Amino acid sequence: MKKRRFLSVLGLIGLAAALLISGCSSQSSTQQGDKVELYMGYNSDPPTKKKMEEIISKFEQSHPHIKIKTMTAPYDDFYQKLTTQIAAGNAPDLWQSDGTKVFGYAQRGAILDITDYVTKEINKEELNGLEFNKDSDGKYWGVPQGIQVGALFYNKDLFDKAGVSYPTADWTWDDLKAASVKLTLDANGKNADDPSFDKKSVKQYGFAFFGSSRGAFNILKAYGGGVLDPTLKKSIINSTENKKAVEWMVDGMQRKLFPNPADLKAFQSNFKAFLSGAVAMQIDIYAATTSMNGAGLNYDVAPMPKGPDGKRFAPVIANSWVINKKAEEEKVKAAKEWITYWTTSDEAQKEWTEVGEAIPVKKSVANSEMFLNPATKPENKKVFLDTLEFAGTIDTNAVFTEWVKVFTDNLAELFMDKYGTDEFITKTDEGIQKVLDDFFKKQ
Amino acid sequence: MLELQTKQQAKPAVKKRKWLDSEGRWGLLLVSPYLIHFLVFVVGTSVASLYFSFSDYDILNPPKWTGLDNYEKLFEDPLFYRSLWNTFYFTLLYVPAKTFLALLLAVALNQKLKGLKFFRMVHFLPVISSWTVIAYVADAVFNQRIGFANAFLTKLGIAPQNWLIDEFWVIPVLVLIAIWKSVGYMMIIFLAGLQGISSDMYEAASIDGANAWQKFWRVTVPMISGTTFLVIILNTIYSFQNFEQIFVMTGGSTEAGSTGGANNASLVLMLFMFRQAFSFFKMGYASAIAWVLFLILLAITLIQFKLQKKWVHYD
Repeated sequence: MKKRRFLSVLGLIGLAAALLISGCSSQSSTQQGDKVELYMGYNSDPPTKKKMEEIISKFEQSHPHIKIKTMTAPYDDFYQKLTTQIAAGNAPDLWQSDGTKVFGYAQRGAILDITDYVTKEINKEELNGLEFNKDSDGKYWGVPQGIQVGALFYNKDLFDKAGVSYPTADWTWDDLKAASVKLTLDANGKNADDPSFDKKSVKQYGFAFFGSSRGAFNILKAYGGGVLDPTLKKSIINSTENKKAVEWMVDGMQRKLFPNPADLKAFQSNFKAFLSGAVAMQIDIYAATTSMNGAGLNYDVAPMPKGPDGKRFAPVIANSWVINKKAEEEKVKAAKEWITYWTTSDEAQKEWTEVGEAIPVKKSVANSEMFLNPATKPENKKVFLDTLEFAGTIDTNAVFTEWVKVFTDNLAELFMDKYGTDEFITKTDEGIQKVLDDFFKKQ
Repeated sequence: MLELQTKQQAKPAVKKRKWLDSEGRWGLLLVSPYLIHFLVFVVGTSVASLYFSFSDYDILNPPKWTGLDNYEKLFEDPLFYRSLWNTFYFTLLYVPAKTFLALLLAVALNQKLKGLKFFRMVHFLPVISSWTVIAYVADAVFNQRIGFANAFLTKLGIAPQNWLIDEFWVIPVLVLIAIWKSVGYMMIIFLAGLQGISSDMYEAASIDGANAWQKFWRVTVPMISGTTFLVIILNTIYSFQNFEQIFVMTGGSTEAGSTGGANNASLVLMLFMFRQAFSFFKMGYASAIAWVLFLILLAITLIQFKLQKKWVHYD
C-alpha cells in the first residue's frame, strides 16, 4: 500500500517537473553573465541557412557579448510561425521581414519605430533601398537586408532563333509587343505574324507577367497609372492611363502573345514557363537568377521598357531587418549592433552576395567586381543597380495581400475574357477601395 | 470489463464511498497527459476562438470586443456564400460517390482472389501519399497542355478543357482526385465490416435461391449499414474540412492570397477561413467562420444521426 502511494507521488512529481521544464525552457538562460542573448528570425532554405549561420558565427566572434539564437523556416511556414509567436508574445527580438510585409507589421504595432537609429547611425549614402522602408509620415521601420529589384529577363537562345535583336534600354512596351509577335510560335513553328498562325496551339509565348511584383502593376505605372495614391489609402485604378495599359495587356492576351492565367497554369507554376524555355521574356526580380542559373538558361536582363510618355517603372522589394516592439532595451541595443554589422561589414555583405539571393544593400559591395562579375549570368547585372534609380515599391501597405488579391483575381477574370476593360476598372476600383476603407477608416 | 463490474459490485458498501478510489486516481493519473492536452488544446482553444469571434483581432494586437460585428459582416459577405456553396457542392458530389465506390471495392477485394494483398495495397497507396505528390500525379492527367485527359478528348474530337482553372470543372475534378486519394481508406473500413458478416447469412440466402445481386442488396448492404453510417459521417466531416488539397491544387502559395481558383470557384470554407486569418490578419473574422462551420457540421451530423434510425441496423 505504501509502495503504491510512493509510486503515485513519484509519478506526479515527474509529471509536474516535465511540465515545468517544458513551460520554462523558453525563458531560462536568456542572460548569462553579461552576455545578451539575441533572438533572431529569418526565413531560409538550406543554402541561405548555411550562409546565415556562418555570418552569425563571425558576428559572435567580433561581438563576444552577444549570443544569437535563431528561429528559421521556409518562407510560408516562417511567417505563419512568426505571426503566432507575435500573438503569444514570444516572437524574435529581431527578424528579417519580407519587404511587402514591413508596413503590415508597422501599422499593426508589432515592430519598433527606428527612425532615430536610422537617421543618426546609418549612413544613408552608403546603403541601397533605405528609403523604401520609410512610411508616408517619414518614419523608418526597417533597414534593408537584401534588395530585390525587377528587370526584363530574356532568353537569348529564343531571340537568336527568331532573329530578333535583344531588348535595349530604349525599348517601349510597344517595342516589346512587336518583338513578342515574332517570338510567339504555334505547334507548326509559325509565328504570330503569320496568317496561318494557330492561336489554339501556342508552344512558345513572347512575354509573360503575373502576380504583383512580376505583373501588371509595373505596366500600369509605366503608362502613368497605378493602383494606390501616395497615401496608400485610396485607389486610383479608375484613370484613362490605366485603361490604356489594360487594353495593351488584353490585346496581347487575345492575340496569344502573352499566356493568360489558364495557359500559365499548364506549367505547374507560373515561374516554370520562362524557366522551361516556353516564354521568351518575363518580368522578374533579382532572386530569380539563382533558379535560372540552376536551370542552365542562356539569358540576360534589360531595364524595364518605357511607357508611351517615356516613363519607366520597376518594382523594388527591400527585405529588411525589423526590431520587435516588445524587445527589452538591451536586446534592442544588440539588434542594432547586428544591423550595423550587417550593413557595414564588407565580409558579411560579400558572404551574403555569394548565395545570390539579393542585391547587396551596401553600395560599395554592390558596385564591386564581386557582385557585377560578368562571368556569371546574367552578364548585365549592372541593370539591377541602374534600375534602382527609377524603381519604386509595389504600393505595399498594411492590407497589401488583401488588395493584391482583389487586383489579381479581377485581372485574371479580365484576361480570361469574362468581362471587358471598363467593367474591370469599376469593379477593381470598388473592391480595392473597400479593402482600404475597412482597415484605415477603423483607425 | 465484466470482471471489473462484478468486482465493484462485490465490494461491500460498508465504508462511505470516496469520491475517487485508488484505482480511479491511478486511472486519472495515467490519462492526465491526455486530459491536460484536451483541456489546454481543445477546450481552451475553442473557448478562445469563440471569444475572438466576437472581437476585432488582428493576431498582433489584443482583441477588441465588437459583439456580433463579425457575424453580421459574414452574413453579408458574398464570398462567404460562395465558399459555403462550394463546400456543399463538394460534399454532395464527394460523399455518395466515394461511399459507393469504397463499398464496391471492398466487396470486390473481399473475394478469394489471387494477389489479393497486392490489390488491397495498391488501393491504399494514394492514402499514404502526401497531397504534394498527389498533385503531381493529378497534373499528369489534368494538365491542359500535357495531360492524358485532354489528349484523350482531342482524340475523340472534343475540345481540350482547362480542368482545374475552369469554373465548371474545378470542383468535380477536385472531387475525383480526392476520391482517388482516399477511397482506399474507406475500403479498409468496409472490408472490416464485411468480414464481420457471418457466412451463414449467405448460405441461407443461397438456399432461398438468391442470386449474387440479391445477396448484395439484401444481405451485405443491411448487414454493414452500421459501417456505412460511420463512413458517411467520416466522409462528410472530411469534405467540410478539406483544405490541403484545395490549397495545393488551386493556388500557388508563392503569391499570398492567390488561392481559391478562378473567380473563387474552389474557395471552400476552410480556405476562406485560412486566408482571412493568416493572409489578411483577420483572426476575429476567421474565428466567426470557424464557429459557423462548426455549427453547420454539427447540424448535419445530428440530422444524420436522426436519420440513421430509418436505415441502420445494429444487432
